Amino acid sequence: MRLACVYVPQLALQAALRRNPDARDEPAALLETAGPGNVSSVGRLRRPELIAGGAEPSQGSAVKKPRVTQLESRARRAGVRPGMTAAQAHALSANIRLFTATAADREAGAAALADVGYAFAPRVDSSDGGERIFFDCADLGQLYPYGETAIAQAVQAHAARLGLGARVAIASAKGIARVATRAHALAVVPAESAGARAFMEPLPVELLTDDAELRAAFRRWGTRTAGAIAALPADAVALRLGPRGADVARLACGKDDEPFVPRLPPDALEEAVELDYPVFEIEPLAFVLRGLVDRALARLAGRSLACAGLVLRLSLDPRGLDVRTVPLAAPTREAKTLLELVRLDLARRPPDAAVVGVRIIVEPARVRATQLDMLRPAGPAPDRLATTLARLAALVGPENVGAPATVDSWREQAVAVTPYVPPAAPPADALAATTATPSTRLTVRRKRPPEEIEVIMGRDGPTALRGSETTARVLVTAGPYRLSGEWWQPPATAAAASEPNEDAPGGWAHEYWDVHASDGAVYRLHRDARDGRFYLDGYYD
Amino acid sequence: MPRAAAIAHIPELAARLVSLERLEETRGWRSTGVAALDGLLAGGWPRAALSEITGRRSSGRTAVVLATLARAIAAGEATALVDASGNGGGSLDARAAAAAGLALPALLWIRCAPAQALKAADLVVAAGGFGVVALDLCDSGDARRRIADAAWVRLRHGARSQGTTVLVATSTRTLGTAAAAAIELGGGAPTFLTDGPPLFAGVKSRAARVRGGPRDESAREEAACVSLAFTCRS
Repeated sequence: MRLACVYVPQLALQAALRRNPDARDEPAALLETAGPGNVSSVGRLRRPELIAGGAEPSQGSAVKKPRVTQLESRARRAGVRPGMTAAQAHALSANIRLFTATAADREAGAAALADVGYAFAPRVDSSDGGERIFFDCADLGQLYPYGETAIAQAVQAHAARLGLGARVAIASAKGIARVATRAHALAVVPAESAGARAFMEPLPVELLTDDAELRAAFRRWGTRTAGAIAALPADAVALRLGPRGADVARLACGKDDEPFVPRLPPDALEEAVELDYPVFEIEPLAFVLRGLVDRALARLAGRSLACAGLVLRLSLDPRGLDVRTVPLAAPTREAKTLLELVRLDLARRPPDAAVVGVRIIVEPARVRATQLDMLRPAGPAPDRLATTLARLAALVGPENVGAPATVDSWREQAVAVTPYVPPAAPPADALAATTATPSTRLTVRRKRPPEEIEVIMGRDGPTALRGSETTARVLVTAGPYRLSGEWWQPPATAAAASEPNEDAPGGWAHEYWDVHASDGAVYRLHRDARDGRFYLDGYYD
Repeated sequence: MPRAAAIAHIPELAARLVSLERLEETRGWRSTGVAALDGLLAGGWPRAALSEITGRRSSGRTAVVLATLARAIAAGEATALVDASGNGGGSLDARAAAAAGLALPALLWIRCAPAQALKAADLVVAAGGFGVVALDLCDSGDARRRIADAAWVRLRHGARSQGTTVLVATSTRTLGTAAAAAIELGGGAPTFLTDGPPLFAGVKSRAARVRGGPRDESAREEAACVSLAFTCRS
């Protein structure tokens, strides 16, 4: 097995830089008050402009000042060091950009790193603390015939596309690959044991283990490199330093037994951001969403997937959550389309309060593959159709856009609206079917709800009718056809029953007539057997 | 092949060529779903253009619209019906439409108020890829007074650029010169079965071609109207 290890040093800083890509060309550092887990204590100090401007935010005496914990090379060259305060960092580098990484940033950064692996392998081992992933790259030789260095370069380039500066190494064991990423930005460790041992030999002991106690012990023994440790008798090392020391000694010899624990990708893909200020308007929110959607789509594109569904979770100020599902007619990978849909949804149903955090959950799916026909239209493009359906829903209401469907009911006017799916390519025998003439069958143009009308009844049925749109004598009458149903349902409330509502629950009994009126039309009308009122259902056309 | 022999084949090859005009004719029409109307319009509704069907109540306008949609869906094309009738609840009778051969899941149905109908149709046409977009304004009052001519011109431009057939059903002629083809249904006479108690059987109408149809003037004069029979029983 050949394992690729992708290591993103200072992942928290890089995750913050993913959110602020314009700061990549400037010195940057990460500020934290305590350990990485205590980022919430920074609170409102996350305002980058304030920090970047050099103004030290006022804090209570009980709160410790945030200090630099991670910094990139330009900031280091300027003299900035971990442990400095924001003011000290600015004194050394006037244009340094100082950030704080929220929990959402770290989470999204780790997920993006995992996606680097999923772009190349179906399963990824991300059990190494979030900054490092492993995946099996033995089969990638088919795609990259120029060797494992080309694979490592491709992985590194893909990580850069996702906004992560990664170090990549390929080796036959996890431990060796891990050490190789510490030593080199790009490394390929030979597969054979002798080659691996030769690769490890010159590396300093500090790269083999993070354990300070072990490092000190090896230093006391005068062993500075892995080669020196490999020369020691393994049994003697295990006797003196225990199992951890024995592991380091084996690693120095180019051997490692650490198991590879791969996992399938998660069902959904998430990107999130916590805002510095509560946002009230839709436009600033759309601006924030743009970055989230761009990053999510870049991750999807790396896995050759598209967005099939989008869930928007808005954290409201001071508390509360607004969760909304943005419907998509078809999988799409266009940020513009997704943003348009989100914008329309927000415009139709604005959040109840100001927004302080945004999280998008993207459902990945394969892009629709269709075999186009030279002589027939390809149908609406999925992304444009999704946008169009969303715009139509915003115009006339979502309940009025879709495909009609019949309902399992005896009520004649019952109809449902289901999600619209563009028709698939017709089967081969469809062409023959299209040459046949569909029946020119009359349908009733329904009035929804039926209109209450006045009817003069004769011996054989209606003789005249008067409604809002017609007043006519009845020339020919066909009927009555008696229909009833749903008597088993509980009746509608008294208030609701006073208004004509044909879809109201409860039993119903109607007498229908088809009448040819003197205005030339053939109407469909009924009398409600419960109250004797007449209603116009529509007319044949 | 010797040069002389190749030259000898030129007339034969030229005979096989199809003129651009003829090609446009064969590709430029779509069936209405009613054979008599196809004949009247010399092929059917023009593609990439606006068409209009008018008539009074019970003249069969809706049946023709549904037949056109059913034919397009059967050919695998995307279709839409902008239903601006029925007080915003839509006038489509889903069961009857399914019985008439319309594949309901393949139809994009938009129920709207008459004031929103043009905007909705514009959006659907602009999306592209729709073969037929039907705009039902039959019960929308005087659409001619309410809708500006410029709106029809804009819709016609969209239909032309997207290759969509836009079929507008109205009670009175509304589109004017914006329509490439127009059919007027009239003289509808209901028929009742009278063997026993009266039973409504269907309508016989007369379809008159108002615009469009064959380019040949003599052919236009030959058949300017046809009789249609619509049934309401299977």
